[in-house]
Amino acid sequence: MLEVRNLQVSYGAIDAVRGVSLTARPGSITALIGANGAGKSSLMRAISGVTPAKGGQILLDGKDITRMPPHERARMGVAHAMEGRRIFHQHTVEENLITAWHFRKPQGSFKAALESVYGNFPILEQRRSAKAGTLSGGQQQMLILSMATLHAPRFVLLDEPSLGLAPIIVSQIFEFIKGYCAQGDRVVLLSEQMASLALRVADFGYVLKHGQIVFEGTREVLTSDAAAELSSAYLGAAKVKE
Amino acid sequence: MDFFIQMIVSGMSVGAVYAMIGLGLNLTFWTTRVLNFGQGSVLMAGAMLTAVMVGSGVNVFLAVGVSLIATAVILWLVELVSVRPMLRLPGSMGWVVSTLGTGILLQGIASWLFGTQAVAFPDVLFRSVDTVEFMGAYISLQYIAVFVISVLIVCLMELFLRHSIWGYGVRAVAHDRDLASLMGIPVRRVVVFSFLVSGVLAGVAGILISQVSGTVDPNFGLHLLILAFVAAVVGGMGSAFGSLAGGLILGITEKLVGGYFSPAAAEVVAFVLLIGVLTVRPQGLFGKRETVKV
Amino acid sequence: MKQLGQFLTNSWTLGALAIALAIGASYADTGTVQMWSFVVINILLAQSINLLTGINGQISLGHAGFFAIGAYTSAIVLKSWGVPFPIAVALAGGLAAVVGYLLAGPAGRVREFYLAMMSLAFGLIVYELARELRGVTGGVMGMRGIPSSQIGTLQIFGWTIDTITYFRILLAVLIVAMLMLRNFVKSHYGRAFYAVHVSEIAAGSLGISQAATKRAAYAISGGLAGLAGGFYAHMIGYLTPESFGLMRSVEILVMSIVGGLGSLAGQAFGAILFTYLPQKLQAFNDYQYIVYGLILVFIFTLLPKGLAGLLKTQTRYSKFDQLKGMDSGAAVAPLSIKRGDEGGDADTPLVRIENIKMEFSGLRALAGVSLDLYRGRITALVGPNGSGKSTLVNVVSGIYTPTAGSIHYKGQDIAGWPAHRVAQAGITRTFQDPRNVPSFTVRENILMGAHRRYRHSAIAAALNTPQAKREERDFLLRVDALMRAAGLLDYADTIMSELPYGIQRLAEVARALASDPELLFLDEPAAGLSEVESGLLAALIRLARDHGVATMIIDHHMDFLAELAEEVIVFEAGEEIYRGDMDGMRANPAVIQAYLGVEELAHA
Repeated sequence: MLEVRNLQVSYGAIDAVRGVSLTARPGSITALIGANGAGKSSLMRAISGVTPAKGGQILLDGKDITRMPPHERARMGVAHAMEGRRIFHQHTVEENLITAWHFRKPQGSFKAALESVYGNFPILEQRRSAKAGTLSGGQQQMLILSMATLHAPRFVLLDEPSLGLAPIIVSQIFEFIKGYCAQGDRVVLLSEQMASLALRVADFGYVLKHGQIVFEGTREVLTSDAAAELSSAYLGAAKVKE
Repeated sequence: MDFFIQMIVSGMSVGAVYAMIGLGLNLTFWTTRVLNFGQGSVLMAGAMLTAVMVGSGVNVFLAVGVSLIATAVILWLVELVSVRPMLRLPGSMGWVVSTLGTGILLQGIASWLFGTQAVAFPDVLFRSVDTVEFMGAYISLQYIAVFVISVLIVCLMELFLRHSIWGYGVRAVAHDRDLASLMGIPVRRVVVFSFLVSGVLAGVAGILISQVSGTVDPNFGLHLLILAFVAAVVGGMGSAFGSLAGGLILGITEKLVGGYFSPAAAEVVAFVLLIGVLTVRPQGLFGKRETVKV
Repeated sequence: MKQLGQFLTNSWTLGALAIALAIGASYADTGTVQMWSFVVINILLAQSINLLTGINGQISLGHAGFFAIGAYTSAIVLKSWGVPFPIAVALAGGLAAVVGYLLAGPAGRVREFYLAMMSLAFGLIVYELARELRGVTGGVMGMRGIPSSQIGTLQIFGWTIDTITYFRILLAVLIVAMLMLRNFVKSHYGRAFYAVHVSEIAAGSLGISQAATKRAAYAISGGLAGLAGGFYAHMIGYLTPESFGLMRSVEILVMSIVGGLGSLAGQAFGAILFTYLPQKLQAFNDYQYIVYGLILVFIFTLLPKGLAGLLKTQTRYSKFDQLKGMDSGAAVAPLSIKRGDEGGDADTPLVRIENIKMEFSGLRALAGVSLDLYRGRITALVGPNGSGKSTLVNVVSGIYTPTAGSIHYKGQDIAGWPAHRVAQAGITRTFQDPRNVPSFTVRENILMGAHRRYRHSAIAAALNTPQAKREERDFLLRVDALMRAAGLLDYADTIMSELPYGIQRLAEVARALASDPELLFLDEPAAGLSEVESGLLAALIRLARDHGVATMIIDHHMDFLAELAEEVIVFEAGEEIYRGDMDGMRANPAVIQAYLGVEELAHA
C-alpha cells in the first residue's frame, strides 16, 4: 500500500502541493485527476523522489521513505513514468530496456523479461535497434510502460500516459495497465488530465486543484451527477443567467 | 620528404593524445556539464610525479601506477570541491573559476616542489633513440607507441561506454539525470566514477605526451588543455570518435605549420580553427546541434 | 559594516580622497607615487573585468592579452611614429576594443564556457606572439626606450611629464572612467548587460539582443584594458612579454573577484589589496601561484560577493537616487494610447496569424493555426496540456521559427524574426514562470521593460547628458505610475528575490506594460496568485486594454478569464476547436470532450 500524509512540495517559487494525503491500495488502480498545474506531476515526483518533499510523509507498506534518494526507491520497487514521454532518445529501444533492467537488482532473467515485453508490444521487437527518439508517440509510450514494469515493481506511478495519443493506442495502453495491476500485489497510481480516461480503468480517484485534494471517491461517485464538481474544477463555474 | 613524414607521424602521435585528453574532458562534461579548466595541470602533475619518481630510482611500473592513482584522486577532489558546490550557483562562473584555480594551484605546487625548469622525462616506452625506417625517414618508435596506445585507449573507452553496465550508467546520466535516477542508477556515484576515470586518462595522457616531447615543465598543462579543447570542439563535444578525428586533424596541422613556419604560427592556426568552428559550426564535425528550450 | 561601506563609496568621500592624493603626490617620495600609479592602472584593469564578467557574465581568462595589445600599440606608435601621447593611448584602447569585438564573434551561438576557453587561448596567443615577433615587439628581450614619465622622456607638446604629473593624469583618467562606468551601468545599457547575464530569454523578450550586448561588453572591456596598457607602457618605459603572461590574467581576475564582481567600488578594494600584497609579503611573491590558485578555488563558496559583499556596497542599476528630486509634479500616464494606423476601419486586425504550422523532429505541435488579434481587445487562449498554446506564443514572439505559415504585423511578415527584433517592434510577452532579474529591485525590473523605448546613446548615457537624464526621469515616473496601478509601490525598492511569488508575477506583468506594447501575450499569468493578486492582475490587463493594447491570455483559470476576455479560443492537439464566448465554450461538446472526455460524464 502506498500512503501519502500531508505532503508539501515546492516547485521553484510555487507551492505545487499543499498538504495532500491519499492512499493507493494494491490490486486496483487509483486515479489522480485535475487540470494542468493542479499538482499531479509534482505529487508523483515527490513520491518517486525526483523532487524532494518540503514536508509530510511518504510510506510504502508502512515504511517511511520520505528521505530516501530516488535510486534507492527505484530499487525498492517504485517505478515512475514521468510526464512528457521521457526516454533515452539517443539509445536504441533495446538499450533503453537494458538500462531499465540492470540497475534495479531485479530477479529473474533479462531474456525472459524482454520476451514478455515483446509479447505485449510486438512493434517494439520490430524496432528493437531503432533509436528511441525516432519512434512514434504511441510506440514511445509503449516503451516507457515496458521500462516501468519490466522488473515487476510493486508501486507504479504513471503521469499522463495517454497524452497526445490516438484513441486506439490509448486503449491498448490501458489494457496493459489494467492487466499489470491485476497480476498481483501491485499499486498503480495513474494521473490524467482527461478525467474520463482515468476513470475508465481506475476504481478510486482523487481530484486535485491548486495543490490540494478537493474531491475524492469511487468511480461511481465521480462519474455521477456529482461530476458537476469535477467540471467546475476544470472549466470554472457557469455564470448564472439573470 | 622525410621531414614531411616526420611531421605527419609526430602530428598523428600528439593528435591521438589530444583526443585522449579531450575524451577525459568530455567524460566529466557528459555527467556534469562542467569542463575542467584544470585538466591540463592534472596531466602535468601525472607526468611530473612519474618523472621525479623514476629519476629517484623507483621502478617504472610502480611510478606510473602511483601517478595514475594520484591523478584520479586529484580529479575526485576537483569534483568534491570545485564542481559539486559550484553547480548549486547559477551560471558557469563558479566552476570555471574554481577548476581553473585547481589548475593554477597544481602548477604552483609543482613549481614549489620541483622548480620551474623543465624536467627531463625518462624513457618509459622504448628509448628515444629507437627508430624504425619508413620511406627513407627514421621514425621514433616512441611516437608510434604513443599513437597506438592512445588510439587503443580511446577505442576501449568507446567500447566500455557502449557495452558495459557502468557505461550504460554514464550515458544515462549524461542524457537525463532524473530519468537515470528513476532507473535505479546511483547518479552521484556515477559522477564520481566519471571523474576518477577522467583523472586516470589525464595521467596517462600526461605521461605519453611527455614521453614524446622529452620534458615536463609546470606550464605545459595549459597549452595542452587548450589544444585538447580545440580537438574536442572540432570533432564535436558529444563524440569519442569525434575527439579522435578532431585530435588528429589538429595534431597534424599543428606539426606541419609548426615545422614549416614557426611554433607561434601553429598556435595561431589552432586558435583560428577554434574561432572558425565556433562561429560557423559550433557543434563540430560529428556533434549534435544543441537546442534551447523555453 | 553597511555604514562603513556607504561612507567609503560615497562620492564626496572619494572626491576628497582623490584631491588629497593629487596634492599629496608632491610631498610623497617617487617610489610611493609610482605605487599609487600602479594601483590606478590595476583599478582600471579590474573595472574592465567587472564590466565583462561581473555585469555581463562573460568570463575572461586571458585579459592580459588586451593589456598587452594596448601597451605595445601605444609604445610603438609613440616611439616609432611620434604620435602624441594622448592619441597614442587612445589608439591603444581603440585597437584593443576592436580585437575584443572580433573575439566575441561567436558570442550568442555557444555557451559561456566556450568563450572562456577561447579567452584563455587568446591570452596565450598574444603572449606567444609578443615573444615571437621580435621585429615588432622586441621579442623576449623586450622593448626599451619607450618615452616614459619615470625617466622623464615623455612629453606632450613640449612639456615634460614627470612621475607626479603622470600620476595626476592617471588619477583624472580613472575618475572620468569610473564616473562614465557608473552612469553607464545605471543606464538602460547597464541593465541590458546584466539582464543578458542573468536571464537571457527574458532579455530577448524585452528587445535586448544578447549577441550584440555581449560583443559590446567585450569591446568596451577590451578597450579599457588596452587603455590601461597604454598608460602602463609610458609609466615604466620598457615592456617584456613576461608582464603579460597567464599570471597577469589570473591576477586581474583575482583582483576583480576578490574586490567583488558587480561592484564598481569593490574593484578599487581588490586592486589596492593585490597591488600592495606582493610588495609587502615576499612570501606572497614566492607562492603566488599557490595563493591565487587557492583563492580561485574557494572564493565563490566562501565570499561570493567579494570584499564589496562584506561592506554591503552594491552598485544599483538605475539613476533613481540621482534623479529623486527631479519630480515635475505632473501625473504621468503609464502607457500611451494606441491608435491604429493599419489602414482601413477600426476592425482591421493588428496582427494576422495565418496557417502557422510548427513541427519538432516529427512531433506536430501546431497543425495550421490562424487567428486575428485586434487593438483594445482581450482574447483568451485555452486548451489541455500539450495543445500548442505556449508553442503559438513562442512562435509569434520569435523563440521558434514556424515550419510554415506567416504572421502579418504592421505590414510585415514577422515569422522567423528573432525574439529581440519582435520585441523591438512592439510585441511583448510574459513567461510561465516569472523571469525577473532576481537581484534587481522591483523598480529596476519594471524599468528594464522600457528598454526598447529609450533613444539616448551609450555615450550620452555614460556622460549623463541632459537628454539622457530627461529620458531616464521620464521612464522612472512612468514606472512609478505602473507600480501604483499594480499595487507594488510598497515594494518598489525591495530586491525581487526576497518577494513572494505573487508580487514577482505582478512585477513581471508591469514590466511587460512598461515596454508600451502594441501586442501583449501573457502566458499563464494567474497561476499561483491569491484572490487579491488576481484582482490586481486583472486591473493591469484592463489598463492595457483601455489603452488600446491587443492582448492574448493563456491560462487555465476559467473564472479569471471569464471576467476579462471578450473572446476565447480553445486549442487541442495543435488545432483550434472552438472560438466564441466563455458560456458557449462551457456548453460546447468538442471542448468538454477535449478536457474531460464525454462518454461517462453526464453534464448538467
